[in-house]
Amino acid sequence: MGIPIYTYDAVIVGAGLAGTAAARELEKAGKKVAVITKLHPLRSHSGAAQGGINAALSDEDSIELHEFDTVKGADYLADQDVVELMCKEAPETIRWAERMGAAFSRNEDGTIAQRPFGGQSSPRACYAKDRTGLTLLQTIYEQALREGVTFWDEWYAADIIYKEGKVSGVVAFNIRNLEYAIFNAKAVMFATGGYARAYKINSNAHANTGDGLSIVARHGLPLEDMEFVQFHPSGLSGNGVLISEAARGEGGRLLNSKGERFMEKYAPNKLELASRDVVSRAIINEIREGRGVGPRKDAVYIDLVHLGKDLIMERLPELRDLAITFLGLDMVKEPILISATAHYSMGGIPMDKDGHVRKNNTEFVEGFYAAGECSCSSVHGANRLGANSVLEALFFGRHVGQSMIQDLNEGITLRKATEDDAKAMIDEITLTLNRNGTDTVPGLRDELQQSMTDNAGVFRTEETLAEQVNILKELRRRFHENCRIDDKSKIFNTDLQEAIELGHMLDFSLFIVESALARKESRGAHFREDYDTRDDENFLKHTMAYMDENGNITLDYMDVTLGKHELKERTY
Amino acid sequence: MTSITTQTITFKVFRFNTETDYLPAYKEYQMEVTSEEVVLDILNRIKWEFDGSFSYRRSCRHGICGACAVKVNGKGVLACKERMNDIIDSFGTELTIEPVSTKRAVKDMIVDKADFWEKHDAVKPYLVSDIDEHPKEESLVTPEQAEALLEADLCIQCGLCHYSCPAIEENDEFFGPAAFAAAYRFNADVRDEGTLERLDTVNQPGAGVWDCVKCFECAEVCPKEVNPIEKITKLHNQVFEYGRAPNNVAVRHAVGFAHSIKKHGLLDEGELVRYSEGTLGVLKHMPVALQMYKKGKIVLPWNMPQSDKLDEIKKLVKISSTVKF
Repeated sequence: MGIPIYTYDAVIVGAGLAGTAAARELEKAGKKVAVITKLHPLRSHSGAAQGGINAALSDEDSIELHEFDTVKGADYLADQDVVELMCKEAPETIRWAERMGAAFSRNEDGTIAQRPFGGQSSPRACYAKDRTGLTLLQTIYEQALREGVTFWDEWYAADIIYKEGKVSGVVAFNIRNLEYAIFNAKAVMFATGGYARAYKINSNAHANTGDGLSIVARHGLPLEDMEFVQFHPSGLSGNGVLISEAARGEGGRLLNSKGERFMEKYAPNKLELASRDVVSRAIINEIREGRGVGPRKDAVYIDLVHLGKDLIMERLPELRDLAITFLGLDMVKEPILISATAHYSMGGIPMDKDGHVRKNNTEFVEGFYAAGECSCSSVHGANRLGANSVLEALFFGRHVGQSMIQDLNEGITLRKATEDDAKAMIDEITLTLNRNGTDTVPGLRDELQQSMTDNAGVFRTEETLAEQVNILKELRRRFHENCRIDDKSKIFNTDLQEAIELGHMLDFSLFIVESALARKESRGAHFREDYDTRDDENFLKHTMAYMDENGNITLDYMDVTLGKHELKERTY
Repeated sequence: MTSITTQTITFKVFRFNTETDYLPAYKEYQMEVTSEEVVLDILNRIKWEFDGSFSYRRSCRHGICGACAVKVNGKGVLACKERMNDIIDSFGTELTIEPVSTKRAVKDMIVDKADFWEKHDAVKPYLVSDIDEHPKEESLVTPEQAEALLEADLCIQCGLCHYSCPAIEENDEFFGPAAFAAAYRFNADVRDEGTLERLDTVNQPGAGVWDCVKCFECAEVCPKEVNPIEKITKLHNQVFEYGRAPNNVAVRHAVGFAHSIKKHGLLDEGELVRYSEGTLGVLKHMPVALQMYKKGKIVLPWNMPQSDKLDEIKKLVKISSTVKF
């Protein structure tokens, strides 16, 4: 076959904030490191983060308050040791990004400016206008470039080499020409991003198809807390593109068709700045009860007019631009239309606080690491606090990079790869290219996304989830037996790529639904209409889900690491 | 947005695959386009409803990742940010969609952007500074200092300015507007220590800022309003401010301009050539000069007129000059 085998100390999949931050650490430490990304690094979805990155910088704020807000936001499902670590390191992480060149907005005295965000006791989100992710992604990429990190861009990581409890590399193909390669490494890190693309209305990039999760799951490794998908309250009506929480942080008001500021009913104290899950449910409830607005009555208004043109232009210019582009509405002059949009994945590849991927509740996979949205540490528990995701990606990217360096220094042996290790990928590609049938990738994907939104969205019941399990099984059968693609060429075969991505979405979606079905309580982003309260007695625990060779899911549970922040009822 | 309207649009779309095609072809697709759609929706629909082999780059779909630049009727657009209604208002109901650079096309809308990235990387597009890996405090940057970047940090490397730049078309060496905007972004940053080196890079004859033809196409096409030509002009000034201007044709050409305006209030074309290229250089241009003289475009040196408001012009030059030549 003649497949090239490249050897590295460390291979990282994904070039967003987490992957690139880790790569820079490894490169600086003199390790031979490669980053594989199916995009150009600067196209990574970290760049889309708008509103901010949390750190308790000011005198009025404290690390402990940041921890408390994170744990409460998480509806107490977060592992508190991991939360403590992240919150403690947040100030240094932000200042380190600043020293590398991030263009933060500033106070008059030259310090980094901060704004209020939902679910937070103090203005804590450091920001760069409304393009915080962009400046951070650019900065970390620039400094990685400066250090000489090797990027394999427009390469698609299709599989890991996993045998005998150890990962020893990544199998990938070049999207430009379908050339195969094996990246043999002592340490592999997944930083492949989130999975909200499984939903019809979502805020995610086209690329966020959760490939990394099902690549791991197909080897029989667990995925944790997959039922927790965050629905952001403010996606643009129709396409779900995000209007940052900064819009509410700066003072935006939510109104229904009667002109009522309806959050007064749902969260009398925090109003629009309640936690995201609370606001999303309120919006969907208003729409369901007939108080929606817009041409399809499937949205509510967010009104920012009272903020005035100057403030909007200074702090929210990108958001204004988005509403003009996609809705033809200028927030300076009129309210704009928003609704809940699938946004962030709390669940993912289970890892400990240093990034070691779990094989099960007690054991770890050797040589395998994760960080960022694809991972579950679990720092966000059942619901992530706004402006904690960028922090998580940047902090854990760097921290897990350091942990890899330490493990490499202590000695990880390289298990030599052979061409046979590429077999699963080659089979997948060959089958996808040659399979005949009547189903198409966009057709199946539409059915998947629509049914996930309908049955496993903001509101869930036993009935809808059970139905969704059947729908997914049938979609997977049709995909594997009857799905054909048009493009048979080797050059930028994006048809092939979309088919492979769909296969991943179908697999991890079953984890979301089966995990949600078994969790008979409501906690954070997971809301069961048939079990509408939190049940700490039975469900204060992490879901650990495994897929067998026939594609069936089995569930196990893992204890939550509690700490100084004691369980309380969660009200805003 | 009170209601959604639709129109029938015909798209002629550039199709090409380096693996199988010798020449590109334009394929026609007709569809009902709604007032909610942007150009990227059309690319998606061509792929998803007509032909799965149609290929293009895209990711974020809201104007921040920079992947989906294409040209519609010759106008460079970021596909996910360009409203179909605006395009139809400008160009009507028959539209041609092409890659940003047809000569660099690899497949359909996908171009080989290697030249773009090489030039981007060449200007040291990163903060040159000894980075404190464990800082206790941030560096202090006032809001005014932060604003000095003039939004150059908003560049998303979509390449639209690069592939709309006529100087790039003619001159492979030319860094291009995006690379210059990146150079400016870091030069303008008070935390940066790489300015001199960067200036020496962007100051090279042929590749550097002096070969900008000042057509403003980059400012026109930029989907993020980065205004690269403004940054190129700032770099011109920085070359002098930091004393990095070598005595070469390009620099003397710029200085000669300033001298001429100061002396006459008008441009003395003949003297400009003499100043920048030397007396021998003038000989080289004699045939053109004679043609221009015949058409009355230039005058003999002793007949050079003066602007009637020369006093005011001199004052203007004085107050606007930050740099001594």
